[in-house]
Amino acid sequence: MDNVQLFGFFVVMSIATFITRALPFVALAQVRSHSILDRFGKSLPPMIMVVLVCFGLMSLEIDSVDRGGLSALALFIVITLHAFFRHPLLSILGGTGVYVAGIQGFGL
Amino acid sequence: MFGYIPLGMAFGVLFQSLGYHWIFAPLAGVVIYAGSAQFMAVGLLAAGVSYAEAFIATLVLNSRHMFYGLSVMGRYPTRGLSRWYLIFGLTDETYSLITARPPQSPGNVHYLVYLTGLNQSYWVIGCALGASLQSFYAFDSRGFEFALVALFLVLLIEQVRTMNQRWLLAVALSTSVLAYLLTPNQFLLVAIGLCLVTLMVFIRTGGDHG
Repeated sequence: MDNVQLFGFFVVMSIATFITRALPFVALAQVRSHSILDRFGKSLPPMIMVVLVCFGLMSLEIDSVDRGGLSALALFIVITLHAFFRHPLLSILGGTGVYVAGIQGFGL
Repeated sequence: MFGYIPLGMAFGVLFQSLGYHWIFAPLAGVVIYAGSAQFMAVGLLAAGVSYAEAFIATLVLNSRHMFYGLSVMGRYPTRGLSRWYLIFGLTDETYSLITARPPQSPGNVHYLVYLTGLNQSYWVIGCALGASLQSFYAFDSRGFEFALVALFLVLLIEQVRTMNQRWLLAVALSTSVLAYLLTPNQFLLVAIGLCLVTLMVFIRTGGDHG
């Protein structure tokens, strides 16, 4: 894929992303507070986030017990840091730092 | 503070594995501006998928944003350029920052635009830093992909705080396991679809009073 095609790829993804973000504003412009939609808006995002955490874990290609243990440890560190400090940057850096150290430093 | 600079850097570093000029990483941040979709794009580009596949995959991955719109609709301006920029910039991070604060009057548009614009700036700077550093120093980036999992987990913890029916999380976990076992290639579509159906049945039967 050359540079022009790569830019086209970005534009395609941009349009798809914008559609998902704009759809409720366009489709539901008249209904400002629909109670059923409010309930969806409250419950669905965290459910989707659970699915996305699983999706992210799938992309880590956990193919050994060591790698699984490292992933579990890194997840635990993210949760613990976030429970104590509630500081997104710290939680993300802490968990990722441990994971990178395990992969690169200990060859897991 | 925002996790967008280190996360953008992680994207930039991963993006460089594709071998394009580093300027395309911040360009992706300007044009697409979707954290998880950009990470996914690296995988899609590496796999050489078509435009159509990329379009569908992005729709599915970002379908959660439809429900973000529902919860911030009342706070957004009803017309003007700022409305469309705010919709364009409604990322996971921006959504969680906006909804973490009490609802504001519609007159507070400047604050929303400022917040969204600041977030995107951090993200673009992060993408540029990661990709340019990687192209000049070529450091070892193995393991950086965990940043995405950590981001989703942090967002999940934040959203769970304001959730009433937490058993629905177990439903989401079950649909994920089911989708992983049955249709690993259509994981997101099937898992999120099953969540949606379960939630619809639950709300229709009047179980949700939250």
